[in-house]
Amino acid sequence: MPQPLSAKENSLFRQVIRNYEDKQYKRGLKAAEQILKKNPKHGDTMAMKALIINQQGKTDEAFALGKEALMADMKSHICWHVYGLLYRHQKNFEEAIKAYKSALKLEPDSLQIQRDLAFLQVQMRDYQGYVQSRTAMLQARSQVRQNWTALAVSHHLAGDLAQAEKVLTTYEESLKTPPSKTDYENSEAVMYKNSIIAEQGDYQRALDHLESAAKHNLDRLAYLECRAEYLAKLGKKEDAAKAYRTLLDRNPEHPDYYNKYVEVLDIAADDQAAKKAVYDEYAEKNPRCDAARRLPLDFLTGDNFREAAKSYLSLMLNKGVPSTFANLKHLYTDSFKKDTLGAVAHEYLDAKSTSKDEKEAVDGETPKGEGAALYYLAQHYNYHLSRDLTKAMEFVNKGLELVPNNLEFHMTKARIWKHYGNTQKASETMDKARNLDLKDRYINTKAAKYQLRNDETTKALETLGLFTRNDSPGGPLADLLDMQCVWFMTEDGEAQARKGNVGLALKRFHTVYNIFDVWQEDQFDFHSFSLRKGQIRAYVDMVRWEDHVREHPFYSRAALDAVNLYISMHNNKHLSNGVNGSADVNGEDAVERKKAAKKARKDAQKAEREAAERAAKQDPNKGKKVEDETKKKDDDPNGAKLSATTDPLGEATKFLLHLLQHSPQLIDVQIAGFEVYLLREKYILALRCLNAALALDPEHPRVHEQAVGFRHALNSKLDSLPPKVQEVLKAEFTVIPPSTDLKKYNTDFEAKHKDSSLHVIAAVNTRKLLGDDQATCEKDFLKLLDIKGVQFEDAKLALDVLKNWRSKEAQEFKAKCLSMWPEVTAFA
Amino acid sequence: MAEPQPPAIVEGATMGDVEDEVQSQTKSAEDRKAAAAMAKLDARDEDASSSHVDQEAASKALKNMRAPAAAAAEKKEMKKVKVEAADVALLVEELDLTKPKATELLKAHDGDAVAAMKAFIAV
Repeated sequence: MPQPLSAKENSLFRQVIRNYEDKQYKRGLKAAEQILKKNPKHGDTMAMKALIINQQGKTDEAFALGKEALMADMKSHICWHVYGLLYRHQKNFEEAIKAYKSALKLEPDSLQIQRDLAFLQVQMRDYQGYVQSRTAMLQARSQVRQNWTALAVSHHLAGDLAQAEKVLTTYEESLKTPPSKTDYENSEAVMYKNSIIAEQGDYQRALDHLESAAKHNLDRLAYLECRAEYLAKLGKKEDAAKAYRTLLDRNPEHPDYYNKYVEVLDIAADDQAAKKAVYDEYAEKNPRCDAARRLPLDFLTGDNFREAAKSYLSLMLNKGVPSTFANLKHLYTDSFKKDTLGAVAHEYLDAKSTSKDEKEAVDGETPKGEGAALYYLAQHYNYHLSRDLTKAMEFVNKGLELVPNNLEFHMTKARIWKHYGNTQKASETMDKARNLDLKDRYINTKAAKYQLRNDETTKALETLGLFTRNDSPGGPLADLLDMQCVWFMTEDGEAQARKGNVGLALKRFHTVYNIFDVWQEDQFDFHSFSLRKGQIRAYVDMVRWEDHVREHPFYSRAALDAVNLYISMHNNKHLSNGVNGSADVNGEDAVERKKAAKKARKDAQKAEREAAERAAKQDPNKGKKVEDETKKKDDDPNGAKLSATTDPLGEATKFLLHLLQHSPQLIDVQIAGFEVYLLREKYILALRCLNAALALDPEHPRVHEQAVGFRHALNSKLDSLPPKVQEVLKAEFTVIPPSTDLKKYNTDFEAKHKDSSLHVIAAVNTRKLLGDDQATCEKDFLKLLDIKGVQFEDAKLALDVLKNWRSKEAQEFKAKCLSMWPEVTAFA
Repeated sequence: MAEPQPPAIVEGATMGDVEDEVQSQTKSAEDRKAAAAMAKLDARDEDASSSHVDQEAASKALKNMRAPAAAAAEKKEMKKVKVEAADVALLVEELDLTKPKATELLKAHDGDAVAAMKAFIAV
C-alpha cells in the first residue's frame, strides 16, 4: 500500500534522495528521521535510511531496517529496489536479482531498476534474462544506438549469433542518413558486426561485408588482419599472400604474420630453403629486425639449423643482447637443437678468446662478445634441460672476472645456487646483485623473492618496502595488498607454511583468492562503461576472459597450496587427537611454534602501538584519514581465525571447486581433490578425481598410491554405504578390481618402477597404508638414496614423509642427505 | 498514486552512470554548466542518432524481434519427470550439490539416481 505523505514531508523525502546521491549521508539521515518522527511506519523513508546507513558501513543494521521497511510497505518498488541494492552490496547477486525483479513488477517503467537488473544478470551470466532485460530497455528507448548494440551483445553472449546480427542490421536499416566517417561508435559497431558474421563461419559474407562496409574503417589494423584471415580461410591464396605482405610491411616483428604468410604460400613442408628465403627477404629489408632472423630456427633442421643458429648467435652475442638465451630456450625441447646451440656458443667463445688481443688493439671499446657468450653458456648449463651446475658456475665465475660488477652474472649465480638447493647462498647472492643497482625494481623484486624462498619473510618485506609507497598506513604489506601483488602473497604464504605459521600462510592464500574475486567483480563497471564508449569488441573479449580468469596459474598455485595446507591441518588434528603419546616427538616443533606465535603476538602489539601513536600525531588535522584507516583495518591480521577453523576440509573445498572447474587438466588438482573428498568420505566425488587423474597419467606415483588407497578404503567401507552409491562405485572404479591382492599389486608396481625415486616413495607410502610395519618402511626410505640419479627434491619429499611419521630415522636420513648434497640448505 | 515518485534511485558511488554522477555531484552553477557540457560530449551520438532513426521503422523492426520461447518450452517438458525426494537428498549428500542443481541433474536422467551419479563423474 502506498503511504501518502504531506506536502512538506514529500519535499523532505526528495531531499533525502538528493542527499543520498550527493553522499551527504548525515544530512540525509537527519531528514529521514524527521519524516519518520511523524510517519514512523513510512516504508520508503525507512528504506532510504537503510541505504544511507549501509553506505556508512553498518551493514547489519541496514539489513534489519531494510527488512522492516519491506514489512511496512510490501507494495513499494523503492523498498524492493533498496533491498536489492543491499544484497548487491553484500555481493549476494542471486538474491539481489530476485529483489530487483519484484521491484520491476511493481514499477515496470523504471529505467533505473531495469538497468540495475540487466547489469546483474550479465554479471551472473544469466544471458537469457539479460536478453529479456535488454529487449525491454530497447523498447523503452529505441532511439538510442547503445540499446540496440546492447541487445545484439546480449544475443551474442547467449550464443545466438544470427539474432545478434539481425539486431544490428535492423538498426542500420532504420537510419535515415549514414553516420559520419569519423563516428567512432559506428566504426566499432561495424567491425563488431563483421566479427559476428565471421564467428558464424560464413567467411565469404564476412569478406564482402568487410570490403563494402568496413573498407575505410577507423581500425585500420583490424580491417587488414580480418581481410587477410578471411582470404586465407576462403582459399584465395594469392590475395591472402598479398594481404599478409601488407601486414608484414607494417610490422615485420609479428611472428603470426610470418607463419600465416608461409602457410598461404603453399611451400612444401620439407622445403626449408624456400621457407627460409621468405624470412631472409624481410631480414634484408629490415636490418634491425629480430623476428625474421630468429623464427627460421623454429623449423630448420640439421646443417641448415647449425648454419642459421651460428649466424644468429654471433649477431646477437656481438651486440651483447642479454635476452638471447631467453629468446632461444624454447628450442631446447629438441635435443639436437639444444646440443647444437651449446656447441655453437662454445665455438664462438673459443674464437673470441683467441682473437681477443688483436681485437682490443683495433677498437678502443671493450668487446661485448665474450661476456655475452659467457652469459649465454652460464644460462645454458643452468637451464633444466641442459643442466650441469658445475659448468654453469664455472662460466659465471669467468664472466665475473671479466666484468666484476655485472648485475646479470650475479643474478645468474644466484639462480645457480637456487638450483643447487642452496637457498641461503642464492638469497645472499641475489641481494648482492640488488646492491649493484638499487634503483632497479626488477632486481629488487627478484631479491625479495629469493629471500622468501629462503624463508626470510621479514627481510623480504623490508626489501620490497624500498619500492612501495612510503606513506601507506599499514607499511609495505598494506601497499602490496592494495596493488594486488599476487606473487608476493603466494611466495610469502608458502614461506610461512614452511615455517609452520599456518595462520599467516592461510591468510596469504585467502588474500589471493579474494583478489581473484575482486577481478571478477571489476567487470561490473564495464557493462555500462564499454557500451557508452562503444567499444564492444573489447567488451566481449573481456567478458569471455573473465570466465576463464581463475584458470591462471597464479590462482591454481595459491589454491593448491591452501588445499594442501588444509589437508595437513586436518590430518594433524586427527593425529594429535588420536595418539597422544607421539606428541612429544613433535615437541621440539611445538615449542618453536609457540615461540613464533608469541613473537608474532608481540610484534603485532608493537605495530598496533606504533600505529596508534602515528594516528595520535595526525589526529588534529587529518581526522578523516584516520577514519579511513580504521575502516580498512583487518580484524585478523595474522590469520589466527583462519587457522582456528573447525572445518579445514570444508574450507579446502571452497578453493578446490574453482580448481576442479577451471584447471581440471592439472594432475595435482585432481590429486588434491581426491585427497579432500576421500577424507570427507564423499566417495563418488573422490572417484571422479581419481578417474580424471588416471586419464591424465596412469603411471603417476601419487595416483597409484591413491588408487590402492581407494580400493583399500572401499574394502572396509563399501557395505556401509547407500546401495545406489555402492552400485556406482562398483561400476565406475575399475582400475583395481575388488579381488586384487593389494600388497602384491603394490609390490609389482614398486618392482616396475624401482629406478624412479618418486615411485618408490609412493610404493613405500602405500605399504605403510596397507599395514606394513613402519620401521621397515623407514628403512626402505634410506635405500632410496642408493637409486641412481635421485634428486635432492625427491629426498626432501621423503624426509618430509619421515618427519610426518615422527620417525626416529629422520635425523639419520637427513644427515645422509646432507653428505650427498652438501649444498642443500634444507638438509643443513 | 498519491505519492509522487522520486526521480530515480542511483546506486552507490561507482555503480551509477558517470553522467548521473557528474550531474549530482556538482554544486555551483559553473560546475553544472561544465557538467552539462561534458554530458553532452558523451551523449553526442545519442542526440545525433535520434534524429537519424526512423522511429516507425525502428518500432516495426522491434516487433519482429521477439525471440522464440523455445528454451522455456524445453524447460517445461523437463519438469514432467518425477523425482524422489530421497534421491535428491542422496545426490545433495554425495555430490556436494545444491538442492536445485541435484534436482535438475536427476531430471536430466529421468530420475535415475545411479545414472545421474555415473554421468556426473564421467570424465
